Amino acid sequence: MSPVLSARGLTKRYGKQVALDGIDFEIPAGRIVGLIGPNGSGKTTTLKAALGLIHFDGELSVLGLDPRTQRDQLMQDVCFIADVAILPHWLRVQDAIDFVEGVHPRFDRKKAERYIAHTKLRPAMKVKQMSKGMIVQLHLALVMAIDARLLVLDEPTLGLDIIYRKQFYQNLLEDYFDEEKTIVITTHQVEEVEHILTDLLFIRDGKIALSATMDEIGERYVEVMVPNEKVAAARALQPIDQRTVFGKSVMLFDTQRAGGLSRIQLEALGEVRNPSVADLFVATMKGSYA
Amino acid sequence: MKTMNWLIRRELWEHKGAFFWAPVAVAGALLVMIGGGFLYAIFTTGQFQFQVGGDQVLAIDGLPPPMRARAAAIMASSYLAFATPLFLVLPVVVFFYCLAALYDDRRDRSILFWKSLPMSDEQTVLSKVAVALVVAPLATMAVGMASSLILLVLALAAGASKGVNLIAPVLADLNLYLSPLYLLSFLPLYIIWALPTVGWLLLVSSWARSKVFLWAVGIPLVTLALMAWFDFLIGRFAGLEIGFKWFGEQVVARILGGLVPGIWFSEAELQLLKQQPDGFDGGVVLGVSYGTLASPAVWVAALAGCAMIYGAMRLRRWRDEG
Repeated sequence: MSPVLSARGLTKRYGKQVALDGIDFEIPAGRIVGLIGPNGSGKTTTLKAALGLIHFDGELSVLGLDPRTQRDQLMQDVCFIADVAILPHWLRVQDAIDFVEGVHPRFDRKKAERYIAHTKLRPAMKVKQMSKGMIVQLHLALVMAIDARLLVLDEPTLGLDIIYRKQFYQNLLEDYFDEEKTIVITTHQVEEVEHILTDLLFIRDGKIALSATMDEIGERYVEVMVPNEKVAAARALQPIDQRTVFGKSVMLFDTQRAGGLSRIQLEALGEVRNPSVADLFVATMKGSYA
Repeated sequence: MKTMNWLIRRELWEHKGAFFWAPVAVAGALLVMIGGGFLYAIFTTGQFQFQVGGDQVLAIDGLPPPMRARAAAIMASSYLAFATPLFLVLPVVVFFYCLAALYDDRRDRSILFWKSLPMSDEQTVLSKVAVALVVAPLATMAVGMASSLILLVLALAAGASKGVNLIAPVLADLNLYLSPLYLLSFLPLYIIWALPTVGWLLLVSSWARSKVFLWAVGIPLVTLALMAWFDFLIGRFAGLEIGFKWFGEQVVARILGGLVPGIWFSEAELQLLKQQPDGFDGGVVLGVSYGTLASPAVWVAALAGCAMIYGAMRLRRWRDEG
């Protein structure tokens, strides 16, 4: 099956500043990809390029289409949330549902109404009367009811409380996602999405810093709780990151780097476990703001 | 087509106040002021009476037949003139609508929501053109016709209560029924004349990062002022002209004034309109108005308007909203 998204030498310059520096990646169908990077790393630029919102250089194909020239066709099968709380202030809940139903052939009205029934939104309510969280809830309800082949979410849960955020990601996984669909998410709240992701793309300074499935990452990166007496020995093995928790050293090792030890060898140093995406991210991005 | 329908509906949700309530409010004011006058006349004085120093010198108990006929003809053919104030409100409303049309959703970033739905920028821009050039004028015409008819009825009733009963001759006058059709027939002409203005305003609306009004009005006026100044200098020292007057009439007037109904009379052969003692002759007025289409400049300007609308579509497609 051809990939849903494939980029080759994708480049975007704003004047002299390079936002995307010739990146390559492929995203197959049926994946939930976390596109993760520090502020200004090029995440949003990548998504805007894929959604046909900006010009770019290089090759980028989305569902087999060029987003620059075939955007109108592409939008039949793609949906996105590019920013939160951006619904116009004059829009009513019922009008929003009618409108999306009217223009989108793949919108399921019942589904949207079901999501909305779980919130405090009322049909006659206007966006200007809503709190920021309620606007996001309405937007998510509309988008989740669209049966799109590719869903792009750029910081979709900003401004929502933890209860709704958890609920949203659960709905996304249980109710929305299937093997035909692909979801790309960017977020700073990595710990909330890591359990639903199938793939990770780390991006830094306009380049892909890491591209792997979650399974590969589990095999490749190992976190070891090193007892004090072995710290010096462990440090000699060049961990990519090290921190101290309750007086114990926690070191992160990349088993695939040159001269790296295997998981079994590392077990000799102490208790071994899989690192969290957040820790891996911090280790990978070290020095980003330096 | 279905998408277009929804896009136009969206515009009406957003601008219900401007396109519906504004004309209704103006019509309401007209009814209260003019219609109130008629009602006052019905319920107060008995007859048209003229008094001098407390002595009754003249009472009108009716009109001689020729005057009756003329009064009836004027009423039947000109009653829509009651709605004139509505057609002065229309250009103001549409002017500001066009300026906001492609700017407001960029400012509040809701453009990112609209762009996440399957509709092209061409459709979006065309829906706004249709609202400015067709929906808004039709709404104003409808409100205008309704309020004019109410006022005509009140006027006839007032006349009848004073012994000047024109109801039968007015009802029998063909112009009573033709007037709304004449009014509707102006719509295509209005669209052609308004295209340059709508195109220009939409172009600025989709281009400017802020202060749309200043850009839209400032660019043509400042250019005109600069040209006038150059004209003065060059004319003084080199005896040449760069034609700022031409620029003012052919460019500035067309891109800023095209929304005013009747702007075409500025180029019409007005002597043909004189001598209409029996009220409006709708046919003649229409003929004179459409006669302005014989000038190629009108068509060039309309085409330029279309080109600017196309430019607005391209800008909307590629403008990076950050």
